[in-house]
Amino acid sequence: MATIREKGYHHWEGRLKEKPRAFWPIIRTGIKLAFERRRFKLLFAFSFVPAVVYGVGVYVSERLEDFKFMAQGAEKTLQVNPNFFKSYLTLDIIYFMILLLMSLGGAGLMADDFKHKAVQLYFSRPLTKLDYLFGKAGVVMFFVGVLTLVPGILLLILKLLFSGSFNFFLNYPWLLLSIIFYSAFLMLFFAIFVLFCSSLSNNRNYAIAIMWSIYIFSDILGAILKGIFRSPYSSLLSIKANLGQVGAAFFLLKPPYDYPWYLSLLTLSLFSILAYVAINRKVRGVEVIR
Amino acid sequence: MQKETGRIFSFYFFLRKKSPRTKVFYLLSWASVVLALIIRAYRLAGNWTETSQVVFQNILMTFFLQFLIIILALFYGSSIVSEELEGKTWPYLSSRPVSQAAIIVGKYLAYLSLTSIMLVSAVVISYLILNLDQDFHLADLGTVVRYSAVLFLGLAAYLSFFTFLGTWLKKPILVGLAFGFGWESIIQYFPGSTQKLSIAHYLKSILPQYTTASGKLGFLFIRLEPTKPLIAILMLLLIVIVFLALAALIFSYKEYLFED
Amino acid sequence: MTAVIEAINLSRWYGHVLGISEVNLEVQAGVTALLGPNGAGKSTLMKIVTGQLKPNIGEVRIFGEKVWNNRHIFRRLGFCPEVDAFYEELSGFEFLSGLLSLYGFSQAECQKRAERALEAVELTEVKNRKIKSYSRGMRQRVKIAQALAHDPEILILDEPLSGLDPLSKRRIIKLIKELKGQGKTILVSSHVLPEVEALTSEIILIHQGKILARGDIYFIRELIDTHPHMIRIKSPQFRELARILAGEDYILDISFRPSEQAVIFETHHRDHFFSRLNELILELSLIIEEITSPDDNLQAVFDYLVGK
Repeated sequence: MATIREKGYHHWEGRLKEKPRAFWPIIRTGIKLAFERRRFKLLFAFSFVPAVVYGVGVYVSERLEDFKFMAQGAEKTLQVNPNFFKSYLTLDIIYFMILLLMSLGGAGLMADDFKHKAVQLYFSRPLTKLDYLFGKAGVVMFFVGVLTLVPGILLLILKLLFSGSFNFFLNYPWLLLSIIFYSAFLMLFFAIFVLFCSSLSNNRNYAIAIMWSIYIFSDILGAILKGIFRSPYSSLLSIKANLGQVGAAFFLLKPPYDYPWYLSLLTLSLFSILAYVAINRKVRGVEVIR
Repeated sequence: MQKETGRIFSFYFFLRKKSPRTKVFYLLSWASVVLALIIRAYRLAGNWTETSQVVFQNILMTFFLQFLIIILALFYGSSIVSEELEGKTWPYLSSRPVSQAAIIVGKYLAYLSLTSIMLVSAVVISYLILNLDQDFHLADLGTVVRYSAVLFLGLAAYLSFFTFLGTWLKKPILVGLAFGFGWESIIQYFPGSTQKLSIAHYLKSILPQYTTASGKLGFLFIRLEPTKPLIAILMLLLIVIVFLALAALIFSYKEYLFED
Repeated sequence: MTAVIEAINLSRWYGHVLGISEVNLEVQAGVTALLGPNGAGKSTLMKIVTGQLKPNIGEVRIFGEKVWNNRHIFRRLGFCPEVDAFYEELSGFEFLSGLLSLYGFSQAECQKRAERALEAVELTEVKNRKIKSYSRGMRQRVKIAQALAHDPEILILDEPLSGLDPLSKRRIIKLIKELKGQGKTILVSSHVLPEVEALTSEIILIHQGKILARGDIYFIRELIDTHPHMIRIKSPQFRELARILAGEDYILDISFRPSEQAVIFETHHRDHFFSRLNELILELSLIIEEITSPDDNLQAVFDYLVGK
C-alpha cells in the first residue's frame, strides 16, 4: 500500500547522483547575463586595447629596422622577453579593466542572489554549496582569464610566428608555464575578491563601492605609510603592489619592491582565505539544513 | 521652494543618518583616525617617522583628497535618484507636495551635510591626534581649517557633478568611477588648458601645500599649471551651481520608471 | 454629480508594450474598484492618476486640475503603491511623521497626525518598531497609513489587499469602509472579485489596457454569470450523474473523462447547477470525490468578455 504523506515539505531521502559539472550552468548563465548588457559588451571590447598595443609591440620588435625612423631607442624598450609578458600581466590598466568589467558583470553575482532571495532556489536543486561558489567564481575566472591568460598565450604565439623560429621558446622554456600559472593566480585571486565584495551587500551598487574602495584604499594606505615610515614593507598593504610583486616572482624577475616576494604571496593568500571564510559564512546562512 | 527644500533636507538628513551605508562610510572616513593613532603610538614608542605636519599632509592629500571625497560624493551623489528607484520608494516621494527641484537640492544639501560631518570630523581628529603636544599652538588650527575648507569645496563640487550624473543616467556608478578615478587622475598629467577640465585641478590650485611649496608631496603636483586661487574657488562654486541646476532641471522634466 | 477624478482619452505605452489605451473614466465620491487580471493596466492607470507617470496621450484631472507636474494636488490626494517597499531603517512612526513633514506641518502636528493614522490602522502598539521587523499585514497597513495621514480627500490604493491573511484583509476592508463613510473618494484596484465585492458595488473592469465594462456588482455578476462555467465532478457514478443532468436546460455541454472517472459540465447558471447537484447527492446517495472548476478564474471571464 502506498504511503500516505501529509501535504507539505519533507526532506527527500534519496541519494544524489554525482554530477561532476553541476556548477557549469551557473558559469554559463553568469557569462550569458553579462553579455546581455550592451555596456558590458562595449567595455569588454575596449579592455583588449592593451593586448592589441602589446601585440603591435611584438610585431615592431621583430621589424625594428623598418620602424627605426619612428622610434629611436626602441631596441631597449621593445625587447620581447619575460619582462615584456610580466609587464602586460601586471599593468595597472589591466587590473583597472578587470575591476570595471567585474563592476558590470561580477558585482551582482552574489548580491543579486541575496537581494532576490534566490540562493534558496539554487539549493533547492541538486547543488552543493561548493558547486554554487565554484559556479559564481567561474564567471569571474572566465573574464579574468580572457583578459590575462588568452592575450598572454596569444602574445607568445605572435612572438614565435613573427620571429619565424622556436629560439625564443627554447631560450625561455618556462615562460608558457609562467603565463599560465600567474594568470591562474590572478583568476583565483580576483574570483575570491569579487565574490567577497559581492557577498557583503544585497545591493550590487554597494558591492561595486566596496570592491573599488578596498582596491584603491589598500593602494593609498600603502602609499601613505611608505611616505611616513619610508619602509618598503608598507607596500604589503597594497593589493596592486602585492600582485606586481608576485607577478615578478612567477616570471623569475627581480621584484619591484625591496622585500621578499613570498611575503606578498602570503598577504594575498591570507586575504583570500579570510575572504573565502566570509563568503562561506554568508552562504551558510541560507543553505538548506538537512 | 526654499521651505520645500528645507523639508526635504530634514527628512533625508534624518533618514540617511540611520542608514547602514552611512555607518560604513563613517568607518571608512575614520580609518584616517585609526591610522593617526597607530602612527602616534609608533612614535611614542621612540621610533622615527616624518614630522607630524608632513604625516598629516600626506594622509590629507592622498587619503582625503584623492580617495575619500571622491568615493563619498560618488556614492551619495550618483544614488540620489537610483536609490529611490531601486528601493522602490519613489512613489512615497513623488506623491508629496514638493517640487522636483526642491527634492534634488534638498537631498544634495542633506548628503553634503552628512558627508561633510564625516569628513571634517575625521580631518580634525586625525590632525589633533598627530599634532597635540607641547609644541601645539592654537594658531595651528588655522591650517586644519584651511584644509577642511578645501576638502569641503571639493566634496561639494564632486557631489554636485555626481548628482547631475545620477539624475541624467540610469546607471551612473560606472561613469562616475571612470570619471573619479580615471579621468581626474589622467587629465592631471596633460599640459596646458586640458587639466582645467577636472575638479582636482582647481582643488590643487588652492591647496595650502602648493602655495607654501614645502615640496614633500611634490608628486601630486606634477605638471600642475595652477589657476589663481580666487579664480579656482570661483570655478569650484560655479561647478557646484551649474551641475546642481542641471540636475534639478533634468529631474523636473524626466520621467523615472521602476520595475514593479 | 461632478467627477472627482476624470481621465480623458488616456493612453500610455512602454516602448512597444501597451500599458493602457484610450481610457475614459470618471470617478465620483465613494469607493470605486478597478478590477482586472494581472498586467491589465490597473497600476499604470493608478500611476498616471497619481502623477507618477505621464500619459503619452490624454490627460487626468482631479477636481478639475491637471495632475502631471502639479505638486499642489498632492495635498488632496493620498497614494498607497502596490510594491512592498519602505525606508526600512525607520520605525512606523518615523516613517509617517517624516513623510508628513514634507507637507509643511509643524513637528507637533506631524506627530499628532502620525499617531492618529497609526491608530486608524491599528499599529499603535508597534509604532516604534523598525518597519523591517513588521509582518506583511503590518507593512500593508503602514503603507495605507502613509496615504491617509495627511487627511486627503482622495485615496488611491493599488492592490491594498494583496498577499494578506484573512484577518488583515478584514481589517483593511473595514478601514476602507470607514473612510468611505467620511465622504472620501477611494479608487482601489484588485484582481480578486470576492475582495472587490467586499469593498464596493461600483466596479470598473479593465483588461489589456482597456476599460471593458463599468457598473455595479450586480451588473458585473450578470456578465460573469452569462459566461459558461466548467465544473468537473469526479465520482464512481459519473455516467449516471451525467444522464440525469443532461435533461436540465442550463447544461450547455457534457464531456467525459472515463480514465479519471470524471465528467465535465458546462453551464451558464452555476447557482442552479449546484442546488440541483445537492438535491441529487441526497436523493441518490451519490458518492462525490471531487468538485473543481477548471476555468474558475477572472482571466477566463475576461477572455470570455473580450470574445476569445
